[in-house]
Amino acid sequence: MPFTELEHTADILVRVNASSLEQLFAEAARAMFSFMHEQRKKGSFSRTLALEAADRETLLHDFLSELLYVAEVDNLVFSDVDVSISGSALAATAYGEPFDPDVHAEGTEIKGVSYYGLQIRKDEQDHHYRVEILFDV
Amino acid sequence: MLESLRKLGGVEWEIPIGYTPNMNVPGKFFLSDRLAAEVEEGAIQQLANVATMPGIVNYALAMPDIHWGYGFPIGGVAAFSPDHGVVSPGGVGFDINCGVRLIATPLREDEFDNRRELIERLFRAVPTGVGARSPMKLAVSELKQLLVEGASWAVEHGFGMDADLLHCEQEGRMEEADIAHVSEKALQRGIPQCGTLGSGNHFLEIQVAREIVDRDAAAAYGIAEGQICMMIHCGSRGLGHQVCTDHLKVLEQATKRYGIDLPDRQLACAPLHSSEGEAYFSAMAAAANYAWANRQMIMHTARTVVADLYGVDYGEMHLVYDVAHNVAKFEEHLVDGRRVELCVHRKGATRAFGPDRPEVPQAYRATGQPVIIPGSMGTSSYLLKGTEIAMEKSFGSTCHGAGRVLSRSRAKKQYRGSTLKKELEQRHIVVRAASDAVIAEEAPGAYKPSDEVVRVVDAAGLSRVVARLEPLGVIKG
Repeated sequence: MPFTELEHTADILVRVNASSLEQLFAEAARAMFSFMHEQRKKGSFSRTLALEAADRETLLHDFLSELLYVAEVDNLVFSDVDVSISGSALAATAYGEPFDPDVHAEGTEIKGVSYYGLQIRKDEQDHHYRVEILFDV
Repeated sequence: MLESLRKLGGVEWEIPIGYTPNMNVPGKFFLSDRLAAEVEEGAIQQLANVATMPGIVNYALAMPDIHWGYGFPIGGVAAFSPDHGVVSPGGVGFDINCGVRLIATPLREDEFDNRRELIERLFRAVPTGVGARSPMKLAVSELKQLLVEGASWAVEHGFGMDADLLHCEQEGRMEEADIAHVSEKALQRGIPQCGTLGSGNHFLEIQVAREIVDRDAAAAYGIAEGQICMMIHCGSRGLGHQVCTDHLKVLEQATKRYGIDLPDRQLACAPLHSSEGEAYFSAMAAAANYAWANRQMIMHTARTVVADLYGVDYGEMHLVYDVAHNVAKFEEHLVDGRRVELCVHRKGATRAFGPDRPEVPQAYRATGQPVIIPGSMGTSSYLLKGTEIAMEKSFGSTCHGAGRVLSRSRAKKQYRGSTLKKELEQRHIVVRAASDAVIAEEAPGAYKPSDEVVRVVDAAGLSRVVARLEPLGVIKG
């Protein structure tokens, strides 16, 4: 499972698991998209993002926050994303379709990405990256 | 887990210094034994974390609806000294000035029909749910003015009456607002959402005042048994979320720069009178003003719908009060017998000022500030009054709602929206929501009983029950 939802009463807490840092970021974004809208498809719309941050947790936080912002102001429903990371810099392309109230109204508005407990770890045994992310909803 | 905590008696509990390293003050929370049995360890830890913040005064406090959040626990209250204290978005949250307002109509239950039609019209008139946009085309210059003026901007532009402003906490406007610290991104998010309800636990509910507990206070607040009321719960929408996100980033750096050691990055903070602290505070104030204007505009729409359908006079639907439950503000409080100015953070907590405070409107001053506690969907909401005891014990604060006991995903597994809707309709509560999923997520069984939370604040004396309101119909995102 690329991500699992953990028990959190007030908000949404997910654990993301991936074999590379890029995949971890992409899966975190896909997890977020899945909570935002029940129905979504890849569509022909895309947006590119370029970010830099002092550490990878901040980079993940900024990446997800930026996707929330772009989705809202451009009225898009994202379903997928490609990510590449080089040092402290991230480049990403997110894919989606325009928001349609008849199709996309079912979902959860995410208010923000919290720093609470945000720590990226690499498992010594399976070499996978893991992180827990708390979304305020 | 509660073994390492100290019960002070009644419903008061203390987290002693040393529960977590570097606590400057003890923690204190208010819970009945029944609620204490369910409290999450994560929430207690978060309250202890708050006690480590610089310049915190007396206690890190939590109200009986305490639950596990991020940064502060939900239900958390902390006051900071202006000299040594800090300001933190972790003590306010992403939804700045999420709050509640209660409107009394002249309609009485025995003459109130057409409930289904009313809910349908409200749902069509108030943009509701994920992705809903305002029909109003606000210019950037207008938005900037709104951010400075708050609810009064809305009134000046025809969304309400002058009298409404007196019945808002802070008169619906924080004068510290400075748009220089509100980013372009936040402005872009604010333009299309003014006057929209949002989703999740936000709602507009039609209620009846079912039980009057304190007749004098109810009379002062203009509420009588059998009276039809409206309650609006929402906040500062994407603009507020963006202000929090933007400043969290700056304050994270500031935390390091000022050498502040914190157990949770979400508690990122800066000294109150540092440039970073002042920038956040003034942007937060602008977002709080947006939220007051937003609730004012939604109220205007709701009043118009009721006036059209029932032929009642718009001017007869008076705003009882509007309270913020996610905000930081400068207030005067008594500390060790001295009157001092403090920066009080309330995250999922409500101001509950007692009688004779100048902040309470003249008409209510002898009674104390009205406090509005929304129930979960299908359960009672409460109108309370602030007390002198709250001034002494909790910096004039009380709870803000019921608090969840089930996560949203568990609630969706346990309940079906369509079934719940039928059950509520059998109890004559009409539900109109953007989706069935949101009804399941917000199932009454997913929340603590609001009655118990209210009973505890009443027992602790943090506020006193004035009236109980029952839902008749609700629109939800």
